Amino acid sequence: MAEVDDRIELDWDALEVGETFDKFEYLLTQEMIDTYRKGVMDPEASFPTIAHKVDVRQYNDKYTDAGSVNARCAFHCYNPPVAGKRLIVTAWIADKYLRRGKNYIVTEAVSVDEDGRLIDRVITHELKQPSEVGKKWGG
Amino acid sequence: MGRVIRNYEEGDEITPLVKELTQEAINLFEGSAGNTGPSQFTDEHAAKEVLGTEGTVASGRMSLTFAIEMLRRHFSPEVFNHTGTVDLRFLRPVRPGDTITFTGKVTGVSREANGNRVSVDLEVKNQKGDTTGIGQGSAIVPNAFLPPEDL
Repeated sequence: MAEVDDRIELDWDALEVGETFDKFEYLLTQEMIDTYRKGVMDPEASFPTIAHKVDVRQYNDKYTDAGSVNARCAFHCYNPPVAGKRLIVTAWIADKYLRRGKNYIVTEAVSVDEDGRLIDRVITHELKQPSEVGKKWGG
Repeated sequence: MGRVIRNYEEGDEITPLVKELTQEAINLFEGSAGNTGPSQFTDEHAAKEVLGTEGTVASGRMSLTFAIEMLRRHFSPEVFNHTGTVDLRFLRPVRPGDTITFTGKVTGVSREANGNRVSVDLEVKNQKGDTTGIGQGSAIVPNAFLPPEDL
């Protein structure tokens, strides 16, 4: 049976800054870390959480839109996560703004592990008109 | 690795970091988080549909990761993995086949309650010399990692 997509279509004007999403939890495995390190060609890369895009995951679970492109991203390192630990993420809408007629949404997320250890904080500015990339930079 | 004690000064150049992007690397990055479905990063059709580009692009988060690597190497993991920050703006797409070079320069050192905050300007260029990203980074170097004359 096909799954029903019950996500809400994004109404940018109605989106409230400060909206906090349900907590998201996942188990960070050694395989995830190893694959991440191969992908970024750095055997000491310490924050595989970056690839999990946890700041926008809960947003994307709740809302549907035309897609997005990452315009800016900030990352704060606190403690490298440990394989085999569950990570708990709190994410929220930190801001939204219009620039040159384009809509942006800023999401922010903080990750802690199952022992309460602070892992990282990520803040992402997403342009909600992703086709601008093709228009500006072509093929 | 033992504790590296050193001082930091405005104008210090960060050792550049060079990365060659391949589709395989992008697929591994995306797949490491279980993102295995087609996306603008892994599938040309999806990229055309969402971005209007002829090919896939690398997630800006890969560039973010590389900037973090460059600064981790500069400050040491013992410092950067606990106090480091990177804030990067993505100006142009990075695509498979691109070689991107990260550079940085220390722009300021200021005292904090728990050490010295070292601020860095960052720039990313591709093999054509086009700037693909700019931003800032920082780390608070704890007093235990600073020479006595800097305290």
